[in-house]
Amino acid sequence: MAERVPATVTTACAAMLRRDLLLAWRQRGDLAMPVLYAVIVTVLFPFALGPDLALLQRIAGGVVLVTVLLAMLLALDAMFASDIEDGSLEQLLLAPQPPALLLGMKILAHWLTTALPLIVIAPVLAGMLHLPTAAMPALVLALLFATPLLSLLGAVLVALTAGTRRSGMLLALMLLPLCVPVVIFAAGAVAAAQQGLPWLAPIAWLAAAFILTVVLAPLACAAALRIALDS
Amino acid sequence: MEAMTAVCATPLLQARQLTFHRGDEPVFAPLDFVLHTGELLLIEGDNGSGKTTLLRVLAGLLHVSAGTLHWRGAPWQRDAVAGDLVFLGHQLGQKLDLSPRENLAFATGLHGQRAEPSITDALMRVGLSGYEDEPVRRLSAGQKKRAALARLPLLPATLWLLDEPYANLDRHGIALVDRLLESHLTGGGAALVSSHSTVNFHGGEPQRIRLHG
Amino acid sequence: MSTWIPLWMHKLASPPTFYRVAGAIRPWALALALLLGAIGLYGGLVLAPPDYQQGDAYRIIFIHVPSAWMSMFIYAVMGVAGFVALIWRLKLAEVVAMQSAPIGAAFTAITLASGSLWGKPMWGTWWTWDARLTSELVLLFLYLGVIGLYHAFEDRRQGARAASFLAIIGVINVPIVHFSVVWWNTLHQGSTVNVFGHSKMAWDMLWPLLVVTLATKFYYAASLCARARTDLLDLEGGKDWVRKIADAEARP
Repeated sequence: MAERVPATVTTACAAMLRRDLLLAWRQRGDLAMPVLYAVIVTVLFPFALGPDLALLQRIAGGVVLVTVLLAMLLALDAMFASDIEDGSLEQLLLAPQPPALLLGMKILAHWLTTALPLIVIAPVLAGMLHLPTAAMPALVLALLFATPLLSLLGAVLVALTAGTRRSGMLLALMLLPLCVPVVIFAAGAVAAAQQGLPWLAPIAWLAAAFILTVVLAPLACAAALRIALDS
Repeated sequence: MEAMTAVCATPLLQARQLTFHRGDEPVFAPLDFVLHTGELLLIEGDNGSGKTTLLRVLAGLLHVSAGTLHWRGAPWQRDAVAGDLVFLGHQLGQKLDLSPRENLAFATGLHGQRAEPSITDALMRVGLSGYEDEPVRRLSAGQKKRAALARLPLLPATLWLLDEPYANLDRHGIALVDRLLESHLTGGGAALVSSHSTVNFHGGEPQRIRLHG
Repeated sequence: MSTWIPLWMHKLASPPTFYRVAGAIRPWALALALLLGAIGLYGGLVLAPPDYQQGDAYRIIFIHVPSAWMSMFIYAVMGVAGFVALIWRLKLAEVVAMQSAPIGAAFTAITLASGSLWGKPMWGTWWTWDARLTSELVLLFLYLGVIGLYHAFEDRRQGARAASFLAIIGVINVPIVHFSVVWWNTLHQGSTVNVFGHSKMAWDMLWPLLVVTLATKFYYAASLCARARTDLLDLEGGKDWVRKIADAEARP
């Protein structure tokens, strides 16, 4: 038997994060998928609506936000799927660490690998739709708070569906009511910035919601997994 | 001296009238058993007799439906047990895109340990020298099983819950599992092992439970 | 089971007792619902005077408003029952939560349909992104999510627990959605129409409304009793008390 070493939570969290990032790197082709999806959807809008500068400018912020959120939804389904399939999730729940913390690390890794590339590409997409440069900081900042909110809330819902036959549509249906406020405030900030109005207030709301969610969602996620796997 | 005997007398795991219900149907009949450190308990039974379910209940992955479960004399609690127990199920908990070394580093990391050099030793012990850095995806079923078994001696757990550890293994592999179990038991560990066929264990006569669905 | 739950509640929560009590309540609740519904609708559709601004079009509120209240009331019931189901793993609470969901979804759908029918003469459009209507639409999605999640599980009790968890998340979410939609409406200066006005409603309009509201409550009780009874029979299929009932029914 190995020597008994005091289990340290930070080592466990680091191991969790390192493993998920390493796995994402090994399958880096998959990382491009949400970005590609966002590009395709954004490019289709001018074709559908016509290249009218004023119209595109008006919808740019909203289109980019919704596109990014949909692209994230696409990747959300896979958050726990492979871990359930190969039994790693059981190992995670049996580890002598708070499951909420380890799940939080998983969510962080998921955000880093799916949302961050989308945030990087978002100004380019917005530029294609002629969003004024002045509104760019608002867009990026809004996405910086809105995407982790979506990752966290989505993780809870994905955890709830963990014991079911996989159904992406159900996840979308469940997520819609939760992401309505996120979309409203994020788009509100961009719209305000575009009109030259102060736009920090909605961002502050998003930030407050983010802080609350970052504390509660991993706990809810752990509880949801317990329910969904206990049969 | 008396204190010593008292400690030894407290069973590691004790079940009284333990059952688990799926829906309203019991998966296995109420069970009573006592497991002390240094002991091995074999769970035998046909397919579908509830062996896996029992092990998952004991691991705390499923709720006990009726009866009691005690861990070192106190009612079973996640915080007391977590980390002192390893569970090796049908799903091996290995990432196919990672190498055995990376998988083991993660498993020990989850338990808050950094054990880089001992990982190489552990992989050598299970006969995977030369495959340390190969993705698990490329290994055979038996090799995957061995890579998962390498986790057992690396983790500082007293109780091993092994679900069909002999499946997919050749003669040498079976001997390997027996060796791992023997050294674990002599080191003060305990194990519950399930198997659908009757196992001949060489390290003394283990306790046996037969499950009937 | 926790000891502070009064004994009678504990007894009532046992499936055979609930089955019997619900069976006794159901016909009375249904009869009251029909009677009150008839009285209320007669009062609303025939006796109440036409509105001086909207004419007869306003009469849809006798359907619309009670449904809207019920859609929220049932969601609250579902949330509370779901909470009890998760904490105490009470089978009856799971049944009540899950069998309430389709009834609540139906009331929400009626609210949305009657609201849009009313919107046409009032606002000249079938749909308006008014805060209240939008929140109601989100509520419908919440209901559908709960129902969908419940049916996605093979084990029904597990599905009920997962869906209860979702319902509780929804309870937190509804006020946030309402708040954000109100904020969004002020931002976009949309066609926010105050549906009820600030004037006090005349008594001959108010009493039918209250009577219909009461009727919907009784209808919900009757419907829930019936649904919960069948669901309990299904869940407890192998038990003695179900077998006794089946034997009694089979006897001529």
